[in-house]
Order: sequence, then structure tokens, then C-alpha cells
Amino acid sequence: MRYERQLLIPQIGQSGQEKLKKSKVTVIGVGGLGSPVLTYLVSAGVGRIQIVDCDVVSESNLNRQFLHHTVDIGRAKVLSAQEKLASLNPEVKVSTVNQRLNPDNVKEYISGSDVVVDCVDNAETRIMAAAACMELDIPLVEGGVRGFYGYVMDIGKDYPCLSCLGYDTVKQKTPVPVLGVTAGIIGCMQANECIKLLLGIGAPLYGRMLNYDGLSGNWEEVHVKKAADCPIHARAEAGKRGK
Amino acid sequence: MIEVRFFATFREGRDKVSLLEPKDFKTAGDILDHFRIHREEVAILLINGLYSPADTAVKDGDVIALFPPVGGG
Ligand SMILES: [Zn+2]
Repeated sequence: MRYERQLLIPQIGQSGQEKLKKSKVTVIGVGGLGSPVLTYLVSAGVGRIQIVDCDVVSESNLNRQFLHHTVDIGRAKVLSAQEKLASLNPEVKVSTVNQRLNPDNVKEYISGSDVVVDCVDNAETRIMAAAACMELDIPLVEGGVRGFYGYVMDIGKDYPCLSCLGYDTVKQKTPVPVLGVTAGIIGCMQANECIKLLLGIGAPLYGRMLNYDGLSGNWEEVHVKKAADCPIHARAEAGKRGK
Repeated sequence: MIEVRFFATFREGRDKVSLLEPKDFKTAGDILDHFRIHREEVAILLINGLYSPADTAVKDGDVIALFPPVGGG
């Protein structure tokens, strides 16, 4: 029995397992965060998972992106990941989008998802995904890493988004340093948030930026507030009124 | 006092939290200058949990949180 041990958890049980099976999750980015997120969502039995990434596997990915192996160098990341995930749990339908998200296609791809998990490596796509999720009223699980540090936070239309925090003003010039295990830890936290949101259990990290410091071994919560003049929240509101 | 909380790589070579005399600082930008942090290194600057530009005035009792940019892939 594949799910035997998690069926024993009172907050999951048979009804929770069926809920997971009926759920659809979109994971944007199949890299250092996407690898643990996808591995645990697939092994937990989330019924349908869509993976979005337009990159091919390169050697420098392999310190952290464990869904991709040395033989996969040069292959599309979505295909490399799909193959491993199908072998891990053939009961899960994993669909792939081998395309860069842009403002014209993002809503089409994420609509119908119960939760979106953001595992991307650039501020531009983060903000675009957040805007689309908010317009469609889909919860979004955010995560980011840098060196030994990382954070995780849930975003929804009634709660602060990255743009509320001024994140869209950021321009990253150089690759962000990342230790594989840090991405692993934050990705696992994102998978946990995703499962909580799908099942409607526990306290989601809305408005609570949970920060991890792997050097000192601390987790610290920072309470964050919605900005009155957030452009993404304003657009989501305007879109709703327009309907 | 003004409490400054550093996150991620901003902690390196600094204490995680610094307490500052409010009379020495007019804006959040003055605090960044004090710690020799360039504006463009800061991805998120929060005063009491709310996004604030560097020219925002600071006062006694404020809690400032500073984060560098992150990646994911
Ligand atoms: Zn916002």
C-alpha cells in the first residue's frame, strides 16, 4: 500500500488522500526547489501535476537539481523530470510545458490549478506568476534561496504578495549562490505548504515570511503587510470588477 | 531605539540584530549607509512589516528588516 503511512495521519486519512488525488498543482521551475517539491508531491499522490520549464539540463545544475542526472545533460528539464517522476509514482499524471511563461500565456497555463508552487530563479517570473495567481484566485507557494539561507511564504489575493514587499524593483545581475541542501530544505517546506493548502489543514504561511538560516540553524518568522498601493493587488481587483 | 534585523547574506560580518539611536538617523537610507549596504543590494526593505522606500523616515520603536535577492533554480 503506497500511501499506508500517510493514511495513518489523522489530518489526512482516506478522505484527505482522495482530495490529494483529485487535486491539480502547477510547479513553475524544475530546478533546485522544483526537484524536492515535485518529488514529494508526486510521492504523496497529488493526482495531476503540471511542470513548467523551458531550460535544458546543464552540468552546473547537478549540485542541487536532483531530478536531473549526469546522463540528462542537454535534455529538456521537463522531460528529464517527468521520466523520474513517472518511475517514482505512475499513478500521478505529470504533464509538461516546455515554454517560457510570458504575460500572454501565463494565465492559460495556470488556470484550473488548485495551488501553484513558484520554484523559479528570476524576479520577473516570480512577479508574473504572482499576478496571474491573484487574478485567478489561486494560492501560490513562494520560496527562495541564497547560499545557506532561504524563505518560504504563501501568497493569496487577500494577503501580501512579493510586489507588496517591493520585490519587483530588484534586478539580479549575477547567478545567485546556492547550496543544494538549502534548496532541498526550502523546497520541502514549499511541498508541505502545498499539501496543507490542498487539504485545507493547519495554518498556511499567509503574511508570514518564514526565514531559514542554515548557518546558525534558526527559523525566524517575519510578519509582512499588504501594501496599499501594490500594483499586482490593484490589477487583480480591477480584473475582478471587470468581470 | 530602532531595531534593524538582517536576513540571509546581510548577516555575514554583522550581528543578526542591531539597535540604533533614533536621533542619529532620519531615513531608512541613512541606516543602509551606516551599515555600508548599497540600495541595489537590498531586495526587500520592510519597516514594521511594510514595504518602504529608502527615503522613508524612521522613528523610535521602528523595526527594520533587510533581505537580499534570492534564487530558486
Ligand atoms: Zn501585492
